[in-house]
Order: sequence, then structure tokens, then C-alpha cells
Amino acid sequence: MKDLHLPGSQATPTISADSATGVLAMHGDSYPENAFELYGPVIEWVETYLAQSDKPLYMELELLYLNTSSIKAIMDVFDLVQAAHENGRRVAVNWYYDLANKRVGELAEEFTEDYTFAFQVIGRP
Amino acid sequence: MRNMNANELYTLRTSLQDSGTLLCFNGPISKGLLEEFGNALKRYLEADDAKSAEVTDVFSVYIEMTQNIRRYAAIRGYDDSRACATVVISRTHDGHYVVSAGNLVDVTHGTELVERINGYAALDKAQLKAAYKEQLRKPRDPLQPESAGLGLIEIARRATRPLHATTTPHRDGEAFFSLSVVI
Repeated sequence: MKDLHLPGSQATPTISADSATGVLAMHGDSYPENAFELYGPVIEWVETYLAQSDKPLYMELELLYLNTSSIKAIMDVFDLVQAAHENGRRVAVNWYYDLANKRVGELAEEFTEDYTFAFQVIGRP
Repeated sequence: MRNMNANELYTLRTSLQDSGTLLCFNGPISKGLLEEFGNALKRYLEADDAKSAEVTDVFSVYIEMTQNIRRYAAIRGYDDSRACATVVISRTHDGHYVVSAGNLVDVTHGTELVERINGYAALDKAQLKAAYKEQLRKPRDPLQPESAGLGLIEIARRATRPLHATTTPHRDGEAFFSLSVVI
């Protein structure tokens, strides 16, 4: 399957997805006008990875500011992770943030309310 | 149009300053300009010693409002140059940042928008969170998959006072819509 290496820009995060390690990593700001389009390949990668192997899936996030279009798209990704978890797949999401950036922590924590897979929000000084 | 003289420009400047304006923009807002003005805004707030959460809140409200304006212009078939917005970042006497943005809309759309915003303005923080989660779970509009329909609720959640939305008549069935948000 095709891995992802999307370079970030001012309004879009750096995204990499590696099927050998099962790691999907995203970092940076995310406020494109059309997040549905940006995250389309990410959703496709997650679906294909989950269908084609039985290895664990790890998400390593350092997302900063997200517009609502991005929040919705990230929710779609987490929904796939949740479904895989309910089917007994090993999955884990770590969302790192700078403790000084309180709003990111709140956003990530709010996401954890809706899921039961291993979802850690890790504040760093 | 003719050249502006010092008196006219000074009157405009005084009017902006009297209303506590820190930064403002009026004109066609392209995607690139939206990002650049957003950057300038962030840098201004950081230099102004705004708290990190305040910077995020002002920036978020600015992004949601201006992206709404651009999305609306696209639906109406306006090209980049006609996607005009008026954006004012100001400060209240007691030190709160205010983000205001306006654009031309169809009169009917303006009225509907004001009603919808007044509905959110009446909700407390817990009710807004519930409305936000409910909207987040709604299926996407197939005609507008890029829109989560969440922007106005997000804006209401960032505000420290009820949202203030109004319209004023323009011409040809259009009105100028304005939303002002105290952070």
C-alpha cells in the first residue's frame, strides 16, 4: 500500500503514514478551507491499512490549532480507529501538546470523551 | 473616485481609533490574504502580551468568520475579487479583544443567519458544548462536504459575551451582515 508523506504548510500539518511501522503522524496547524479534501488520503490510508493487515495502528499527534473543518475530518479518522478497536484491533492515539497552549489540550481532551480506545493527551512543559 | 486628502483619511483614522480598533481590513479576501492577515494578527496579539488562550480564541474566531465569508462568496458564485470582507479587531474599555467581520449577503440569508446566531447567543457554555457535539456527529452536507456546519457554534464557545449579529440594508436585495464577538 502507498504510504503518505505530505509536507506541511502554514495552514496544513505535516502528515506521514508508514505501513511498515503502523504509525500515522501529524503535526502542525490545520486550518485549510477544505479539510475534507486534505484528510481524504489519510482516511483512505487508515482504511486500507486496517483492512490489509492485522498489525497495531499508532497515531502520534502534535496538532496545534484546528479549524472546525479539520476537527470534523479528524473525528472521521478517530471513528475508524474506534471501530477497529471495537473489532479487537490494537490501536493507540497519543496527542502531545505544549502545556502553555491550553486550548489544544482542551480540544484533545474533549475528543477523548467520545472514544474508548487508548487515547492519551500528553501535556509537555 | 478621486484622491483622498489628509482630512478624509484623518477622519477615517479617528473613527477607527475611537472605536478601539487595533487592526482592520476591508476588501477582497483571497485564501492567501486570509492566512497572511491571520499571521499578522497572531504576531500582533503576541507582541501585545495577550494570553496564549486569548490568541487562540481571537485567531479561531477570525478564521471561522473569514472562511465562512469566503465559502458564502463561493456558493454565490463570486470570484476571489468579489469575496469582500470587512474585518475589525478591536479592544473594549475593559481590555477584551473583539473580532468583528461583515460581508454582503442576500437579505433573506442575512435574516436567517441573525436568527440562528441569536439562538446560539441564548445558550450557556454547557448547552453550546452539547450543540457542538450534536453538530459534529451530523452527516456532511453532500453539496458542501468541506463545511462542518460548526463554525458559528465554535465562535459562540470562544466568546465571553453573547454574540452580536445584525444586518443593515444595502441595495438590490442585499444586506450587509455583521457579527461581533467579544473574547
